[in-house]
Amino acid sequence: MNFLSKKSYIAWYFVIPVVFIHLFVIGIPSILSLALCLTDWSGLGKINYVGFENFIELFDDRYFKKAIFHNILWTIIFLTVPVCIALMCAYLLTGIKRGQMFYRLAFFFPYMLASVVNCQIWKYLFHPIHGLGGFFESIGIEALASSPFTTKETSLYAAAFVDGWHFWGFLVVIYLTGMYQVDNHLYEAADIEGASKFQKFRYITLPMIRPIFIFSLMIIIIWSVPVFDYVYILTGGGPAYSSEVVANYLYTHAFVRFNVGYASAVGTLMFIYVIFIVGIFGLLRKLGWEI
Amino acid sequence: MMKTLVSFVSAIILSVSFSAFSKTKVTWSMESNADRDPIFLEKLQNAYNSAQDKYELEIQFEPNETRIESLRTSMLAGMGPDIVETPGPSYVKEYQEAGMLENLDSYAAEFGWKDKLIPWAYSSGVFDGSLYAIPKTHESMVMLYNKTLFEENGWKVPTTLEELEDVAGKIKAKGMDVYTYGSSGWQPTHEHLVGIYLNNYAGPQAVYEAITGEREWTDPVFVEALELLKKHMVDEGWWSGSLENYYAIGWDDFHAQFATRGAAMMTIGTWTFQATSLGIGQSGDEWGWAPLPSLSSNSGGPNFMIAIGTTMSVNAAAKNKDGAIDVLNWIMSNKDVVIDIASDFQFGEFVVPLLLDDSDIPSTISPQVTSYLNEYARITGEGNYGYCTWTFWPAEPGVHIWKDMEVVWAGDISVEDFMYDHQKMWDKARKKNETLPVPLRD
Repeated sequence: MNFLSKKSYIAWYFVIPVVFIHLFVIGIPSILSLALCLTDWSGLGKINYVGFENFIELFDDRYFKKAIFHNILWTIIFLTVPVCIALMCAYLLTGIKRGQMFYRLAFFFPYMLASVVNCQIWKYLFHPIHGLGGFFESIGIEALASSPFTTKETSLYAAAFVDGWHFWGFLVVIYLTGMYQVDNHLYEAADIEGASKFQKFRYITLPMIRPIFIFSLMIIIIWSVPVFDYVYILTGGGPAYSSEVVANYLYTHAFVRFNVGYASAVGTLMFIYVIFIVGIFGLLRKLGWEI
Repeated sequence: MMKTLVSFVSAIILSVSFSAFSKTKVTWSMESNADRDPIFLEKLQNAYNSAQDKYELEIQFEPNETRIESLRTSMLAGMGPDIVETPGPSYVKEYQEAGMLENLDSYAAEFGWKDKLIPWAYSSGVFDGSLYAIPKTHESMVMLYNKTLFEENGWKVPTTLEELEDVAGKIKAKGMDVYTYGSSGWQPTHEHLVGIYLNNYAGPQAVYEAITGEREWTDPVFVEALELLKKHMVDEGWWSGSLENYYAIGWDDFHAQFATRGAAMMTIGTWTFQATSLGIGQSGDEWGWAPLPSLSSNSGGPNFMIAIGTTMSVNAAAKNKDGAIDVLNWIMSNKDVVIDIASDFQFGEFVVPLLLDDSDIPSTISPQVTSYLNEYARITGEGNYGYCTWTFWPAEPGVHIWKDMEVVWAGDISVEDFMYDHQKMWDKARKKNETLPVPLRD
């Protein structure tokens, strides 16, 4: 019994309640979901084992492939646009002494709002009756006369834009935190050497915030897999699957089409992908990468 | 004297308490709606509770967006409300297959429910030969038009495709949209239009044959029907001016458009009657309704598509099964209660398909709705009825018909390919015994 009161176990005791909750809320449902991907369960009633039939069907499903492509596109967009803007703004903010708090708050504000609020604002702005559509039409910008959320060619980018608009303020805050930790002597030395602002950013700031920067890329890659709320509220994956993403596809199959087995197969693939990404980052860390 | 008074008061308190506490609770999970909830509470819950001393009905309101999922979860856990309300027969089928609903055959026989309900509506709740659901409301699709506007311009209410295309041209020339309608907030709105074109171009007989498996959905008559819909939707922009606008506007918007002459007509379900009366009533214009125009000679004249909006069943794991049965029987035995509640919604909600006479329609109902009810009874009574997708399509083809219609409208696949996929889904549903009850045609 003595080993139970060992000092090294005390931390474990405190963690047990969290582990317990995670086990029930995430662990068991995940395991069940993994099991359900081999069945044709409708969400109610009998569960029939169908082997890998769901996966075979999935690999032949043109809309699932389209959803994967959109997720990849979404990841690329988020790895570039908000990251670049946030890096630039965070760096510029470090040079602002007065009123910096206002900018930080203004940039971060959309992140504090619920996704449904953000979406409704933008949906309303581009509403064909009450929104800016009529105005754009009157000044000859026909492309914005219709809502970009309901136009096949633009729906995915429009949803990504709104999500990016809410997200980039978060990146600004974490980059800014990293930038404030950079030793000021380095900048002073660079000033003596006559370095330009861009050179200081390229050769001092960026290398010094690398762990935070890589971390931000990792969370973007991981968070881009289950992206759901903005797409669901703004476009519902439409029109014509033009903004369909994997999580929305999973939701439709599980809760609208009564295809829980099929949806579980989608979920399993998402799970494998996330494990793969986390594994790659772990491997790189083991290989000595500073991430 | 004092002693007698105390005893008397105590006896009254005891008897009241006994009656209050002796009532057993019956629960009902109902779709919530800010306008409708107070009426259901007053005229259904409280009225039932006052009418008898045995059971205490408790209606729990929740928006359908979350209610459908929470209901499914609670039913899976062997819990759930005593009265199970679903959005339609495809949901009933899922619960029935899972053995979660009570077989109502013996109660239907005991209380004579079959004789009280419209035959097709009764049969919509019969699965594998037994009754499992009672319709809470039934509905149809109609064409509404701005009567004042039509009269001012001398336009004729269209009854055929030629007349429809003619009046559509005149409406557009006036700078208005032909129809106002949109799917924002409810993507399955597309199926309303698909159903209209299938039933009014191919005709109800062809649709019936396809539902029962006597005809394939790849039949040219269905392909032509949906080609025509695509032409009107995409090329002509009949609904709200363009396909993009149709996707972008929702319930409040299209009612506002109709009331403010943004559009001259609206294709919609009868659940709109109250909203339309209130909306256009404020503008000073008068509205009218008409059956949907026949879009080809196949359609066989005017018909009304029949549909079940919501169903009521009894949970097989109900804590108070007898109470739940008593509530359902009370509804079906009290025509006045049903008519009173339905009247508050201009017969757009809680239209329990009881057999009614002309004399049952109260004078408080708007003349348009009264004339609709009479026409609906006459035309469907003659066997001229079509089939709404949300009542007669199994779950997966039922989603495909609206979700993938967008792909057709986007031009990503042809109508032929769409119908080929649709037929495959029906074949799969038939193989898995997922098809829904359909009333026999005369």
